[in-house]
Amino acid sequence: MNWSSFKYLAHQGLHSLRANRLMTVASIGVLTACLILTGIAGLFGANINSLVAYLGDQNETVVYLETDLTEEQIAQVDTAIRSMTGIASVTYMSKDAVLETYKGYMGDSASLWDGFEGSENPFMANYRVVLEDLSDLDAKVAELEAIPGVAQVNPPTELAGVFLGIQKAVNIAAWSLVVVLVVVSVVVISNTIRLTVFSRRKEINIMKYVGATNGFIRMPFFVEGMTSGFISGCIASAAVLGGYALVLYFSARKLSGLWATVIGASLLPMGQVWYWVVGGFILFGVLIGSLGTAISVRKHLKV
Amino acid sequence: MIVFENVTKVYPGGNTALKDLSLHIRKGEFVFVLGHSGAGKSTFLKLILREEKATSGRVLVGGKDLTRLKEREVPYLRRNMGVVFQDFRLIPTMTAYENVAFAMRVTNIPERKIRTRVPYVLKLVGLGEKMDCLPEHMSGGEQQRVALARALVHSPQLIIADEPTGNIDPELSLEMMELLSAINSVGITVVVVTHEHELARRFHKRVITIDHGHLVRDSEPGKNGWGVHSDEAGDEADAPLGEVRL
Ligand SMILES: Nc1ncnc2c1ncn2[C@@H]1O[C@H](COP(=O)(O)OP(=O)(O)O)[C@@H](O)[C@H]1O
Ligand SMILES: [Mg+2]
Repeated sequence: MNWSSFKYLAHQGLHSLRANRLMTVASIGVLTACLILTGIAGLFGANINSLVAYLGDQNETVVYLETDLTEEQIAQVDTAIRSMTGIASVTYMSKDAVLETYKGYMGDSASLWDGFEGSENPFMANYRVVLEDLSDLDAKVAELEAIPGVAQVNPPTELAGVFLGIQKAVNIAAWSLVVVLVVVSVVVISNTIRLTVFSRRKEINIMKYVGATNGFIRMPFFVEGMTSGFISGCIASAAVLGGYALVLYFSARKLSGLWATVIGASLLPMGQVWYWVVGGFILFGVLIGSLGTAISVRKHLKV
Repeated sequence: MIVFENVTKVYPGGNTALKDLSLHIRKGEFVFVLGHSGAGKSTFLKLILREEKATSGRVLVGGKDLTRLKEREVPYLRRNMGVVFQDFRLIPTMTAYENVAFAMRVTNIPERKIRTRVPYVLKLVGLGEKMDCLPEHMSGGEQQRVALARALVHSPQLIIADEPTGNIDPELSLEMMELLSAINSVGITVVVVTHEHELARRFHKRVITIDHGHLVRDSEPGKNGWGVHSDEAGDEADAPLGEVRL
């Protein structure tokens, strides 16, 4: 195809966008809404995945010691835990250290804990044991429980289980949503193109008689559909990234305590998501635009 | 140029538009196809344009068997033919120039060629002064000439006109026919479909009459007035589309 014909046919397609203004706005609107919802679902899913990964790294098994242990007994437990294999790290938390951590979680309300200093401290001294491999969990827990002087072992199973469940549900929901929205967008785009086929039927008829090939006859429709998809991708990128920037801003400013620690550590930074969002939306929009066009052209354009 | 061999066309739904039609139009001929409304004239043209396919029999145009032509070859076949319709089929939002240029733009012809070719064919049909007029500002005769210019733009070997005078005044239709005669005089084959006996009679040309899908008369002006056309010159039938240029 030579450049002047290409320009001419592309211009025809862009002209249809303007000529069918109402349907164009409607289809770009629906596609944009679909992309935004898909983007939110995708970002939510990605952040849940990141949160689960973060919690996986925090797989601390908490080992509580009996309260009435002597210094030597504590030292023995210490040696026993540290000599185990398959352990990534061991941290000893004295009663005072535990209290300090809780004060940190409470943020502004930390003073509530003021009455629990020293001998009033209700917490138990413990060890935070991080395993190298979570699949060893059950064996390692049994091993820890067998150490004399250990009162209780709290493995991270429940928390991990809860978040794995959320992750699974979010992933399923996100993908079902994406499938539904893709179908809706394709239907709307193909209907818009159908209207263009109808309004340009005279030109199409003439093109056939003067010997235009099918590719030439179809091209303006693809330009129209793909441009709609591209515009939707741009609008949706701007909207979703704008919204995500707000989420990041508020989670940095307004959250405190435990939430700030957990969410702050696992929210993906803008620098890590923007190109996925922009690239994905534009690619996705253009793909849906051409898919919708292809369906409509196949059905309504007898060439 | 055009050969029909026992062509039958039955439309889906059972309408038989043409029945066992055989004829031969030689290169450079000027032929009228005459018949009442519903006789099958348009179907005859649609088979030549490969808009429809014959139900049985063979259709050859310029040596190509259209019943075997691949779908993707059809556009290239049509670039060797120019068509003119009763209703002109101009794009109302485009000037005469743009309407003619359209045919070239959608067939991958560079702009440089379009700029010289379009004014040339418009002058040829006598519309040199009206290039920038919209169809609504032109008479029916002028619009039909724009359509003819568009049909000529690819230098076709064959011009097909379906009731070209149906929507224009009698004097203007004469003018149109004279234009087609002039085009024929440089060697381009012309097939004019009409239901007007008068028009066909006025020009002393071959007349093929179709009635209810049957070829009922094929006559050309012979030594003793109107004689039945005998198909002795089967020689050029399979010649490829020639190199006549307009
Ligand atoms: N697309 C079609 N489908 C079914 N029947 C058709 C179609 N086109 C034409 N016909 C029928 O075929 C016959 C011939 O039509 P046509 O070739 O258009 O005649 P003419 O051009 O001589 O008026 C008519 O009976 C018409 O109703
Ligand atoms: Mg007809």
